[in-house]
Amino acid sequence: MIKDITVGQFFPGQSLVHRLDPRTKIILTFIFIVVLFIVRNFSGYIFVAAFIIIPALISKVPIKYLVRGLRPLLLILIFTVVVNAVFTPGETVLYSIGSITVTKEGLRQAGYMGLRLIFLVLGTSLLTLTTSPIALTDGIEHLLSPLKALKFPAHELAMMMTIALRFIPTLLEETDKIMKAQMARGADFGSGGLLKRARGLVPLLVPLFISAFRRADELAMAMEARCYRGGVNRTRLKVLKFERTDIYAVIFMLVIILGVVWDSYLRVRL
Amino acid sequence: MQKNLPEKKNYARIITESAVLIALGTVLSLIQVYKMPQGGAVTLGSMVPLLILAARRGPKVGCAAGAIFGIIQCVIDPMVYHPVQFILDYPLAFALLGLSGFVTGSVAKVGLGSVIGMAGRFASHLISGVVFFGQYAPKGQNVWLYSFLYQLSYLGMDMLIAIVAMVILWKPLETYVFKRKLSH
Repeated sequence: MIKDITVGQFFPGQSLVHRLDPRTKIILTFIFIVVLFIVRNFSGYIFVAAFIIIPALISKVPIKYLVRGLRPLLLILIFTVVVNAVFTPGETVLYSIGSITVTKEGLRQAGYMGLRLIFLVLGTSLLTLTTSPIALTDGIEHLLSPLKALKFPAHELAMMMTIALRFIPTLLEETDKIMKAQMARGADFGSGGLLKRARGLVPLLVPLFISAFRRADELAMAMEARCYRGGVNRTRLKVLKFERTDIYAVIFMLVIILGVVWDSYLRVRL
Repeated sequence: MQKNLPEKKNYARIITESAVLIALGTVLSLIQVYKMPQGGAVTLGSMVPLLILAARRGPKVGCAAGAIFGIIQCVIDPMVYHPVQFILDYPLAFALLGLSGFVTGSVAKVGLGSVIGMAGRFASHLISGVVFFGQYAPKGQNVWLYSFLYQLSYLGMDMLIAIVAMVILWKPLETYVFKRKLSH
């Protein structure tokens, strides 16, 4: 039941994209999402596609992994495409059964919305495929640290996230062990009505919680023994640094943005 | 920050407890015991650790931990269709789960707290659904109804199980988790 679970999508590598500063990658992904929403017509998506395909090729992440992120999207994608195709008002009727009419405008709108969804998911997948969760956490902490002036606990939240990520594999193994032990005693986790299922959780959750609290206690003790007092004056093993490749990435992004803006707003319509 | 040491008595402990319970919730969310035909999934009570944390450490810690849990969920399985939808579906939805910490102290209160937390999370997903359907469905459709039915099919069962599990778990975990000082 648990064996084929991998935590996160990270695909380890040494490519230029992998080595980019996580802060650069997070910011670029956010800008990418915003840019997607200003695309006005199909030709604009050529630039957007370039922004996905070129880094994907450089990163050497197998296409299979990238496309896998689209699988959960399938249902929503079908819904979007069908609803748009059927309900968008238009003049050029292509096909109609009873009250359902598919128009040229409808199909265009459906394709436009569908592509946007696909690019959004691919863009975010590319970020998580090429950036380890720990690097992402580091990046987020840095990006949020200006908010510390407003008493926003950026360091504490990042610390929580780092420790949580570190403990996921450990707890996964432990959960597996306890599940197996309780199943050997006849516990049943996956069937029955509401009450039976909730009750079934007890023999799993009680030992898990007790051991989780014990772990937290020991860890806190170890941290206090080393005088952990939060983010002030703490040093890091890996210091984040902007490199030349980050500048190239930003220039690349700017070219894409200019392309999209030119295509959507400045180009003389033919 | 370093001046008021006595206040920070539980500083490291709150961080580690939140972290470990976030990790536990993530682990439980990875184990999907039953997949629904529409694509929703029933997990092994993945929201229970966050509810317990909120009941133990109060809504502030609960909300903070919830936000982190949401971001980890997004890192594990990103589904972003819209910038606002990202905020509503990930950090905010789970942060609102932490509201359950406002009512705590007895079986009935914890049950009520869980319901409040769930309502918060559901509301966030509901609005996110409206944003989504508003973006991608053409004008004139009843987006609230779409969103409500969609979220209900997705989350309804998991939420009910989590609430019932919290009520059942109160008894065995009460002395251990909520009152006794943890030291071995």
